Amino acid sequence: MKINYFLFLALPLLLTSCDKDDPVIPNEEELITTVNYTLTSSDGQDVVLLSFVDLDGDGENQPTIMGGTLSANTVYTGSIELLNEAESPAEDITEEVQEEDDEHQFFFQSTISELVVSYTDQDGDGNPVGLNTSITTGAPDSGNLTVTLRHEPVKDAAGVSAGDITNAQGETDIEVTFPIDVQ
Amino acid sequence: MFNNILKYIIIIFFFLCNTILLAQDCSISIQGRVVDEVSQLPLSYVNVYLQETSQGAATDNDGRFFFKNVCVGHYHIIFSHIGCEDSKLHIDLERDTVINVDLDHSDHSLGTVVIQGPKDNVSIQPNLSVNRKKIEDSSNQNLAGLIENEAGVHLIKNGSGISKPVVQGLFGNRLTILNNGIAQSGQQWGNDHSPEIDPFAADNITILKGASALEYNGGNLGSVILVEPKRITREPHLHGQVNYSYESNGRGNNANFRLEKYSRKIAWRINGTLRKYGDRKTTNYYLNNTGLQEANFSIQLEKEWNEKIFVDLYASSFNSRLGVLRGSHIALPEEIEQAFTLLEPFYTEPNFSYGVDAPKQHVSHQLIKLKAKYYQNETSVLEFIIAGQLNDRKEFDIRRSGRSDIPALSLKQYTVNVDLTYAKILGDNWNFKIGNQCIVTDNTNNPTGILPLIPDYLSWENGIFATISKKINVVQFKSGIRYDFERQEALTITNTLPKEILRYKNNFQNISGLLAWEVDILDHQSISIYSGLSMRNPEVNELYSNGVHQGVSGIEEGDVNLESEIALKNILEYKWLPSPSFSLSTLAYHQRFKDYIFLNPQDEIRPTIRGSFPVFKYEQTDASIYGVDFSSQFTISNLIIGQVKYSYLRGDDTKNDVPLIYMPPSSVFGSLTYRTLNPINLSSKITLDEFEIELNNRMVFEQIHILAEQDFIAPPAGYNLVGLKVSTNMLTPSYKVRLFVKADNLLNAQYRDYLNRQRYFADDVGISITMGINFKF
Repeated sequence: MKINYFLFLALPLLLTSCDKDDPVIPNEEELITTVNYTLTSSDGQDVVLLSFVDLDGDGENQPTIMGGTLSANTVYTGSIELLNEAESPAEDITEEVQEEDDEHQFFFQSTISELVVSYTDQDGDGNPVGLNTSITTGAPDSGNLTVTLRHEPVKDAAGVSAGDITNAQGETDIEVTFPIDVQ
Repeated sequence: MFNNILKYIIIIFFFLCNTILLAQDCSISIQGRVVDEVSQLPLSYVNVYLQETSQGAATDNDGRFFFKNVCVGHYHIIFSHIGCEDSKLHIDLERDTVINVDLDHSDHSLGTVVIQGPKDNVSIQPNLSVNRKKIEDSSNQNLAGLIENEAGVHLIKNGSGISKPVVQGLFGNRLTILNNGIAQSGQQWGNDHSPEIDPFAADNITILKGASALEYNGGNLGSVILVEPKRITREPHLHGQVNYSYESNGRGNNANFRLEKYSRKIAWRINGTLRKYGDRKTTNYYLNNTGLQEANFSIQLEKEWNEKIFVDLYASSFNSRLGVLRGSHIALPEEIEQAFTLLEPFYTEPNFSYGVDAPKQHVSHQLIKLKAKYYQNETSVLEFIIAGQLNDRKEFDIRRSGRSDIPALSLKQYTVNVDLTYAKILGDNWNFKIGNQCIVTDNTNNPTGILPLIPDYLSWENGIFATISKKINVVQFKSGIRYDFERQEALTITNTLPKEILRYKNNFQNISGLLAWEVDILDHQSISIYSGLSMRNPEVNELYSNGVHQGVSGIEEGDVNLESEIALKNILEYKWLPSPSFSLSTLAYHQRFKDYIFLNPQDEIRPTIRGSFPVFKYEQTDASIYGVDFSSQFTISNLIIGQVKYSYLRGDDTKNDVPLIYMPPSSVFGSLTYRTLNPINLSSKITLDEFEIELNNRMVFEQIHILAEQDFIAPPAGYNLVGLKVSTNMLTPSYKVRLFVKADNLLNAQYRDYLNRQRYFADDVGISITMGINFKF
């Protein structure tokens, strides 16, 4: 009986004698690390790049945020580029949003007086997407511009197609804030 | 003992008339007496039903019953009594027969001490249990829901389909659930994980509220939930049952069958369950995507060799798909605050649906267990168990570009258990038990395209324990010690670039001990004192979690430097069981923790590309949890039985002098049951018995012992739920049918529960009517 007992004890030891294999590092295709919002003045002279880069996702390292200075009383054309720079070469997420434009919408909220962002693109249903926008500045001021991307928003809810996020619902894929000076 | 419902102490006294027995003799009498197993007091109004002749009788004040003019033959006698599980006895009747029956009437809701038979050693633990009858009558409930109303038990939920039990403030990693003697793997972490067990496969669910559960592995700190099927009844005929119930809320269908047969060669039992639910409904709106589909099967084989060796093989398969309320799948804290102010959650639709879409969970759990028991002699028994489990969990989120079909979390966990225990009655009636338990767990993430929240790991646990107990006159004593060794190997992936694999190897050693006394102070009164020390090493999720946990709206980070937590629990229990018609039990407990591991909200709000999340880190502190569980059952008149159960609990972080979060608020459950005393004969063939009407009320108080900054929003107000249930048995010569109709939340109260994570987004479920039928043959 005693011999059997020790045999049973040894059985699990055998199971644990080998090391566990390395896990596969996932290919995080969906990760968005970078938001580039390029503003070009209507005369093409002034190009401002607002960018938010966070290569480690939810990790401890702080993101790099680059704001910008805009000219007062000017109209800019805005275009958003989304990248996954954790992959090499960097992956263009903008295409994914474009392909599913009916399921995505950007929202722009600013604390700057007289700064107005309006949509210049639309999805197949005629609702705005926000990859392409037009920004009009007014009197000099400074503040923040928050850009939000919602996945599966309810685009026909009240105010949503006009850019009001209140009733939009959906998941937040992006929510970044840029400091802006209007001079 | 094996048959925990009934013990037949003496069967058959016989008396021969001076006439020769004839095959067609129809003048035989059956008489007997039914007593309470624990107190040995006579039980009156036990319904005794002779199935083959459809004769019914009720026991008198002295517990006696009598049938006359019965013919020679095979008979099944059914004993039923309120609060007890039905007991069935098979006899070959040849002559006048006297049957003495011990009915296990010890009020199950009352934390009674169960002393197992000498062969299985003495186990002293405050406990309470739920029997098969309650399981059948609650066919619309999952495992956790079945025990919700018991004193000291609460539920942590994530919507209506996902719930896990909390016993005296302990849950998750601190509470072991044993399915058929095997520590249930895979469900420890995450409050949004239900235990993957089909309660229909069980006959008994026991909740041990001990100070230290030395015989059970799994890092528990005293509390254990045992889910067990009973041994197959030694009855040569094929028996079985079919259960079906329909629940109005969620339009749920629950179907279950069970078949069993005993023969000397082999005894077998099979059990199968199918469940399907659609969207649940609150007082005002549907909870969309809260449906559920479940398919479970189990098989049990038993074989006995020359009364020395008993072998039992058990295999079960649990498979479920369940939806998570779409409107609760919001990540940012400010969105939670916004969602909370809504009249109805986002994505609420006016229509009911059975559909289950992302976010959802697909979970399957397979178990196979072989147990062999060797009865060496009258005083010693050796038991060997080997078991394997496979837990496969897939969680689906809303993802871009058609990736919603790829799980966001996909874990496969293999577990192997090997247990060996030896129990012996030493001289002078000392009961001695020693055991070795080993668990190997291998957890692997399948590719999902997302960094895993829980890393791949391999762990090996080995525990040895020894307990000794003795009963000297009115005093029962138990003591024991346990040592555990755990080795973990975890492989995490960093989220800094370039991504690297880090390999961690940990060794932990834990020691637990117990001292327990139970003293009968006066007739039918006893006082028990339990004092237990237990240690639990940090689990893999506490050490290495990393990332946004949708369930908690925050970034969860483990700490690789955590150490084992130590808990000292003291329990004082007073029980008074003066008669079968009155019982009372009060249990006060205090558990002090050193290095209590918990998820602590940090001052840091971390900006990410998806917005700013609060950071939660696993940290250690000193803590204390104390409370009182009270329950009482009383007979107002012979016709009305009342029941009261009350739980009070308080948890504190004693180092920082703040309350512990996620502690259950006080609650009280009360019920009044009206019953008929004698069987009602509808016709010569059909008899109704145990006709009962139960009115119950569950009141949950507001959790006020929490600071405003400890949560996104304040705990919800207390609530009160009223329930009504009408049930009866219909007996015929060849089968038995049980019928019940019950209403939960009868007044359709609008409420939210503090321990239900869905409370941030939506109300809890409204009125629900369940109709059930149970057919036994």
